[in-house]
Amino acid sequence: MRLAFWLYEGTALHGISRVTNSMKGVHTVYHAPQGDDYITATYTMLERTPQFPGLSISVVRGRDLAQGVSRLPTTLQQVDHHYHPELIVIAPSCSTALLQEDLRQLAAHSGVSSERIMVYALNPFRVSENEAADGLFTELVKRYAVIQEKTAAPSVNILGFTSLGFHLRANLTSITRMLQTLGITVNVVAPWGSSIADLGRLPAAWLNIAPYREIGVNAAAWLEETFSMPSLTEAPLGVEPTMAWLRSLIEKLNAIGTQRGVPPIVMPNLKAFSLDGLSAPSGVPWFARTADMESFSNKKAFVFGDATHMVGIVKFLRDELGMQIIGAGTYLEQHADWVRKELEGYLPGALMVTDRFQDVAKVIEDEMPDLVCGTQMERHSCRKLDVPCMVVCPPTHIENHLLGYYPFFGFAGADVIADRVYLSCKLGLEKHLIDFFGDAGLEYEEAASSEELPVALSDGDHEASPAAASASPVSSESTVLSDDGEMKWTDDAETMLKKVPFFVRKKVRKNTDTFARSIGEPVVTVEVFRKAKESLGG
Amino acid sequence: MQVPGDIQIIKEDNVTHSFCGLACVGWLYQKIKDSFFLILGTHTCAHFLQNALGMMIFAKPRFGIALMEEGDLSKNEPTLQEIIAEIKADHHPSVIFLLSSCTPEVMKVDFKGMAHHLSTPEVPVLFVPASGLSYNFTQAEDSVLAALVPFCPQAPVGEKKVVFLGSVNDSTADDLRAEAEELGIPVGGFLPESRFDKMPPIGPDTVLAPIQPYLSKIAVKLARERGCTILHSLFPFGPDGTRAFWEDLALEFGITVDLRDREKAAWEKIRMQTDLLKGKKVFLTADTMMELPLARFLHSAGADVVECSSAYIIKKFHARELQALDGVRVVEQPNFHRQLEDVRRLQPDLIITSLMTANPFVGNGFVVKWSMEFMLMPIHSWSGVISLANLFVSPLQRRSKLPVFDEKVWLEGVMPSAE
Repeated sequence: MRLAFWLYEGTALHGISRVTNSMKGVHTVYHAPQGDDYITATYTMLERTPQFPGLSISVVRGRDLAQGVSRLPTTLQQVDHHYHPELIVIAPSCSTALLQEDLRQLAAHSGVSSERIMVYALNPFRVSENEAADGLFTELVKRYAVIQEKTAAPSVNILGFTSLGFHLRANLTSITRMLQTLGITVNVVAPWGSSIADLGRLPAAWLNIAPYREIGVNAAAWLEETFSMPSLTEAPLGVEPTMAWLRSLIEKLNAIGTQRGVPPIVMPNLKAFSLDGLSAPSGVPWFARTADMESFSNKKAFVFGDATHMVGIVKFLRDELGMQIIGAGTYLEQHADWVRKELEGYLPGALMVTDRFQDVAKVIEDEMPDLVCGTQMERHSCRKLDVPCMVVCPPTHIENHLLGYYPFFGFAGADVIADRVYLSCKLGLEKHLIDFFGDAGLEYEEAASSEELPVALSDGDHEASPAAASASPVSSESTVLSDDGEMKWTDDAETMLKKVPFFVRKKVRKNTDTFARSIGEPVVTVEVFRKAKESLGG
Repeated sequence: MQVPGDIQIIKEDNVTHSFCGLACVGWLYQKIKDSFFLILGTHTCAHFLQNALGMMIFAKPRFGIALMEEGDLSKNEPTLQEIIAEIKADHHPSVIFLLSSCTPEVMKVDFKGMAHHLSTPEVPVLFVPASGLSYNFTQAEDSVLAALVPFCPQAPVGEKKVVFLGSVNDSTADDLRAEAEELGIPVGGFLPESRFDKMPPIGPDTVLAPIQPYLSKIAVKLARERGCTILHSLFPFGPDGTRAFWEDLALEFGITVDLRDREKAAWEKIRMQTDLLKGKKVFLTADTMMELPLARFLHSAGADVVECSSAYIIKKFHARELQALDGVRVVEQPNFHRQLEDVRRLQPDLIITSLMTANPFVGNGFVVKWSMEFMLMPIHSWSGVISLANLFVSPLQRRSKLPVFDEKVWLEGVMPSAE
């Protein structure tokens, strides 16, 4: 048992519905108490679905349990009558999983053909969102994929694109545009937009593209094993990885093409991949070499997130933008080994593996990186610390469902990520000017941002306990150490601190506090501040 | 109070698209400012709170989940001592509400015993039944208020004051208090007040005035335990409801007031809105349990309420609202599949519906308003009349200002699974 405020991954039920909500003619029935239907709102509100998602809840009430009544058969009949799904997936919630009911038996009472029913009962206390989604998708592929005549021309399936996926549409567009450029046909995209019949047709493709470590790789592996379909499981994230991805794709398809007597796919001039067809496909390689970006070379980044995006971003920042990686972590323990292998040689220390956002916030606070790439929660933690942060991976959030084209994959994706790094980080040349001469008239930004902060974070620690604050004794100690453990500064030292550029001021204050404590100084005076500057190279 | 026999309440099988009682944390932790809400629950409860109520931006809110993991399922009694200690150290609450959820209820955890055991005189730990197995969206507020009863001092015999029942924001509370005082009604306070140690005295001469329609159990409990009187009137929403509420409340204090002119003036103020609502077909699908008074206001304003569904209808508690809804189709525990068919058949001009169903209704060509917005807007009493009317009118007006929408064009590819 632990006290949790916020969790990175969603539940098994959420994972299951992400797959079924992606598909045509598939309906999920939750065998669950009333409130579990909140999951429906994640689709209708985040993806703004213009139709009702294929989700129904067969409500379990306390009274029904006491009376030994189950609404499941009736719900299945109603769902069948109103929506005529090809498949109904029945999933218990965490609470009903404990009842150890025979859901197959119950479902049989509905009279709905057992061939159209799939009970997907996971242990919701052991399995979370991604594993459940990947597991169900793999099950569905195994259940419906049948041997097919291969398509005449080179073709691929795109696997693992799932409802509520991170920048899902744009990533899919980016990949399909590259395939179009190469003249490769997309056989099936799954589960996003696919039907049961589409799953049946999967083996007609020459190759499976499964760029997400979290969802789709296992289905691709099964298809490879069963139908000898090669797969491409790298993510085309960044310019170089996209080039490698394209070469690998062409090579694998051409190997099949040679056997089948189909003319090989030739890598076109790279400008064919650009939006106008006339330019370099990405601005990143030139951008990274400009003097502008030279000032980024000493910037330190910390990356935290899922597996696929986190790994891709670490590599991109170091390999393509020349930034320093001071640490990285993932909340997906089941993928930690893969992440470690991928990031061998990239990290100065051990990979952080945790699902506690407080631990991540602590690292950020201790390290005060120049850039954090993380989830919505890191963005939130960073806001408190005034550390630049960009969101690079799920859990999804309304702000990841924007209308514009912001892929993370492909050449266009590299441009999007580089732009976000640039916009998130503090300035380049301006920074030197400000560092050297002071505030350069930008002081007002601090005032403005500090006015905004209490509003944005009105539920922070301090607001919570006015009683505690007013009740705390005003003693001589309390003037040395304020409530949150910060060191007391003399007015002179504060004035001196004001001369430090506003955007590093918090960091300098923190480092100086730590220095003062380490030398046993109770108050930061001008002398202590000077000593700290000398000692820390400030 | 008698419910006239000709009011038909159609009862169906269940509400599906709504939240569980844990949702009450969303407003109550903000209302009771020195509280902490601890949910003994699972990953699902945490995921619900952080997603559905949009709370992920708060890194350290005054609510949290004592997260039951697999290892905790085999234990007879979950041990919360350490978590309670952590909460006390970090948040210094005056009270901790311990909310039940579905999984521990299925496990038959002895919440009462546990809360009792964890309580100290300084920081009481109060059990609040809230699980989705038994409680609808707003109903757990009823449980929270019931838990607060022992902390409402006993008001002496002869102390005749009104205690307003239901959480509203402080400015609405101020308005209600001022209105009562102006009518000569002595105010005992609000249940809940915004601080745990300020709960109102309640005694045999207290008049309880429910201002939210989902708090029937606490009203009955207080009448039984403290012998107080429950005001049976309309809820103070809209000119009609507000007038009835204040006139009836005044009468409990032997004060006769005639608020006809006030009501008339209030209708006059929203004439533009009611002109637009007249004859408009409105469908309420059931979500927050505020549906009866909302439908009654619409009905009085001249709208054609084609269906008013609500999760639970308590005949005695809602008697006056039901009377005022005479002739309107009222459904308890509606079946959503049936509602969907009726909506397609009846083609309402406006649908008041849950967060889960709003956008798909829009995608089907309807105009909607989130039912939850009515809980988060100051719509009580005279000062809330315009806000209330505008909530119904703004989606209609806004839609009429948007250009023509060809769904065949603009919905293409938005939801591939539905194509």
